[in-house]
Amino acid sequence: MRHTRPAVGVTALVLLAAACSPGPGAAPGAATPAPAKPGYLAVADPALPGGGTLNFQVHVDTGAATGLDPQLADVATSWQLMSLVYETLVTVGPDFSIQPMLAERWETPDPTTYVFHLREGVKFSNGRAMTADDVVGSLKRLLASKSVWVGQLGPVKSVAKDGDAAVRVTLKEPYAPFLAALANVPAAVLPMKEVEDKSVDLATTMLGTGPYVVGEHRQDVSWSFRRNPEYWAQGRPALDAVNVTIAPEEAARIAALQNGSASMATLGNVDSAGMLAGAANVQVLSQATTDFYYLMLNTQAPGSKFADPRVRQAVNLAMNRTQIAEVATGGQGKPTGVTPAGLPGACDPATLPSATGGGAEAARRLLAEAGAQNLSFTLAIYSTEPAPAVAQVIQQNLQQAGITVKIEQTDEATWAGKVYGKAPAEFDAALSWFAGYADAGMVTKWWNPDVAGFNAGFMKADAALSEAIDAAGKATGAARTEALAKVCQEADRDAQMIPLVTRPVTVAYRTDALSPSLYATEGYGNVLRLLPEIRAKKAQ
Amino acid sequence: MRALLRDLDGLSRAGLACLALLVLVALGSVVHLGGDPDAIVGPRLQPPGPQWWLGTDNLGRSMLPRVMEGVGTTLLLSSVAVLVTAVVSAGFGILAGYRGGYVSELVLRLVEVLYSFPAVVLAILVAAVMGPGQTAALAAIVLVTIPLMTRLVRAAAAGVARRDYVTAAVISGARLSRVLGRHVLPNVSGTIAVQGTYALSVGISVEGGLSFLGFGVQPPQASLGVLIRQGGTYMIAAPWLVAGPCAVLVVAILAINVLGDGLRDRLEPRQPRSLT
Repeated sequence: MRHTRPAVGVTALVLLAAACSPGPGAAPGAATPAPAKPGYLAVADPALPGGGTLNFQVHVDTGAATGLDPQLADVATSWQLMSLVYETLVTVGPDFSIQPMLAERWETPDPTTYVFHLREGVKFSNGRAMTADDVVGSLKRLLASKSVWVGQLGPVKSVAKDGDAAVRVTLKEPYAPFLAALANVPAAVLPMKEVEDKSVDLATTMLGTGPYVVGEHRQDVSWSFRRNPEYWAQGRPALDAVNVTIAPEEAARIAALQNGSASMATLGNVDSAGMLAGAANVQVLSQATTDFYYLMLNTQAPGSKFADPRVRQAVNLAMNRTQIAEVATGGQGKPTGVTPAGLPGACDPATLPSATGGGAEAARRLLAEAGAQNLSFTLAIYSTEPAPAVAQVIQQNLQQAGITVKIEQTDEATWAGKVYGKAPAEFDAALSWFAGYADAGMVTKWWNPDVAGFNAGFMKADAALSEAIDAAGKATGAARTEALAKVCQEADRDAQMIPLVTRPVTVAYRTDALSPSLYATEGYGNVLRLLPEIRAKKAQ
Repeated sequence: MRALLRDLDGLSRAGLACLALLVLVALGSVVHLGGDPDAIVGPRLQPPGPQWWLGTDNLGRSMLPRVMEGVGTTLLLSSVAVLVTAVVSAGFGILAGYRGGYVSELVLRLVEVLYSFPAVVLAILVAAVMGPGQTAALAAIVLVTIPLMTRLVRAAAAGVARRDYVTAAVISGARLSRVLGRHVLPNVSGTIAVQGTYALSVGISVEGGLSFLGFGVQPPQASLGVLIRQGGTYMIAAPWLVAGPCAVLVVAILAINVLGDGLRDRLEPRQPRSLT
């Protein structure tokens, strides 16, 4: 049995080496920041020739979970990949401005009417020209579907052609977030002729007007996209191909950046910039987003501890959002109310009752009043950073109020099954994040489970909150800021879902391989929004 | 026991002393001797200093109590798992080695089925049934370490079963349990001890991987595996996060190995020592 001795020693060394290795390719000398213009973190060098490949790494592949139909896609990771193939009438520009996309311009003759003038020369990747019928059919299909995005489109009364190159959308009443809602992948223009004659099944085939077409998809492993030869924008996309690798481990993505096998990656660890500081030719950018973490308290489970609003309010009071932002997101996130911090019209979370109500001591009093002094519950989280860090700070916050939290960490698929799989849902509390979009009123819709059916398993509609959300949708100008403040107050009181801090997004890329374009702000979790502009520095 | 200790060589005694020290550290963490391992006590990623002897982690928690807690978690989890593995593997391995024939074939095929599953898949299966946590991690470590130990014990037992003293015991009418317990088990105990130390290091490694995937130790509880995985991410920016747990891991594995070596020499003095 002597041969096992060296084996044990080798095991120890391997363990040490695995833990202690900085990864191949690490070298001193961090790259300098790329020059950028206002609203941008980076701007691609237009002098670089076209061609080349983007090797992009992300942590998760949600394709199988939601299918490939863009109208049914309900998570930001799906939207990001689908945006390579599908396009919308309008898109989001720098600082959340709404910009033309497949509609080259639009008019609003009155507050309830939008007339979109379609861009000429747009074709689907099968070579067929996009028509107004495709736009009308796509929006009607979306409105008739079970898509969660129907709730975001607002009170659409009718969608009709206005000549051959325009589409008229009429709303029942004014709805401020309408254009921002049209700017997301579920509102993409689909090849309706092919859908109707059933020559294309959108659940399994992606066919759009976007810059790329799908080459191959291996679930949880990779996607490959190649340039759409029919793409309407001249000279774009610059890159010939995009390879997306699914690398769940953060360390694997960092190593891939260091050794050059990835030219771009999204990173969850808030300290990524520091960790890659010594890596040669790697630039790390932190994109400000309107996405935010929130805590779900399940009020619908039989015998729920959170059915009593005082208990929920106590949890809300005990939450130290500043500490969560400083510690769990390394100061990159910001405390937020239900209207995402950073968006025009968003409320100031420091003025909400949960922030001014007395903190942990007030929480203890409320719990005593509710007869729940020894409150303890399990917090379901997934292992993607920085969620575990946020959860652990929450645990510490609640401990100050005498609340015991047991953290249950699983992979994202298991977590999603537990949180959304059954009604009533089988969890006490859970942590997640919402994309914050480009309008402060949009994400508030998810606080009404009658609109956001995916939440119905763990929360019930609150009449006052739902009314405030609807009022904020209709309001304009100064009245809208007031209406949004009211939504914040009501969501803070209801506390079935407790907004916490904004979610920082870190994007890293190889400066010797890529010249990227990236907005300074993003609302739909899509770091590939400017992909058609990105250029390669060398053939790969 | 005193005689056993007296017969150990100096290196083995040093190993035993280190192991005892680690056990004391683990016990100290139970009463928060180094502080509360979960409490946020200072700024993030602070290097070691008078205030925080081993620095602070990415949440501003002192690393000293976290390493102490990690030692306890890992030693407890791995030791219990290896103990269970040893009992199960010894039972099946000795029976298979002694009986041979279809019993041996059956045990080997079962072991091969376990072998055919990657450790992570096994862990996910266990966690799906039991729910994530220490128990799932323990079960997964047992299932991962059982195949190799069972095979080796079976091989050793098959050799012992052909010895004259075993044949003599059978002829003299000894019951199966007596033959296995009195004549076979003591002669394969060296194999079990040696494999136990190997399984312990495998257990520590598996525990770290499982906890990273969310099927093992749940946050904020620390284990050496968790701390090393987390610290490895910060190797450049905050090397102290990985240095402490790595040093403890090296000491733990070396201590276990030299002690195992000494015990083996004491228990199987007729086995020749290798030159290495």
